[in-house]
Amino acid sequence: MNAIPASALVVARPVILGLTVLNLLYAASIAILLGASFFLEGWPWKQLGFDLATMHPLAPGGLRAIMAVGLAAAATVHTILRNLQAIVDSVRGGDSFVLRNAQRLNAIAWGVLAIELLRLAVMAIASALSLPGNMGGYSPAPWLAVLLLFVLSGVFAQGARMRTDLEGTV
Amino acid sequence: MAIVVRLDELLHARRMTLTELAARIDITLANLSILKTGKARAIRFSTLEAICTALDCQPGELLAHDPTLPAQD
Repeated sequence: MNAIPASALVVARPVILGLTVLNLLYAASIAILLGASFFLEGWPWKQLGFDLATMHPLAPGGLRAIMAVGLAAAATVHTILRNLQAIVDSVRGGDSFVLRNAQRLNAIAWGVLAIELLRLAVMAIASALSLPGNMGGYSPAPWLAVLLLFVLSGVFAQGARMRTDLEGTV
Repeated sequence: MAIVVRLDELLHARRMTLTELAARIDITLANLSILKTGKARAIRFSTLEAICTALDCQPGELLAHDPTLPAQD
């Protein structure tokens, strides 16, 4: 058990920072495309490979809805990454088994759940409008991850309470 | 805290300093100070046994309950 490398946490910080930047770039790109779709005729559907002439009449609206869902997902990912960063920083600060981290884990669990629900929403929109392309099938992994995160959050909270109980014991 | 630790009286009666007691029972001076000043929230049985052995006393001589004091929050 002690073989779990502390170097994993050392690597985590720059990885989280990189993912945060990528996520912000992704969100900015989606926002620009979504905004442009209201002002430029046929844009960006044609550039993205969608032939509106052969698609459902509500396809442009559906694609805009998918972009809006993508923005919501990016916002959720940003919150998750910020909470994860705070947890990693608390380890560096030497005090990680605190109730605040249990709350952060709980928030991350809700965030991952929200992302899965948003993904289902995208699949539903794509299916309803017969949009081309693979929007992703069902996978149990994300749901197991949500369950794992909620369990970990509860375990962390109990550990923090036990630690508080031990403080001041001689 | 409604639990009173009478370590000062016992040390005075046994003609022992807190530092000597700490060295004798292998508990840090810092922890004994926490106990003496009433800041401890809990005491292990092993610590209680070590103190009672060193000071030749009973737990009831070391600890007392004073209901007039506010309970621990």
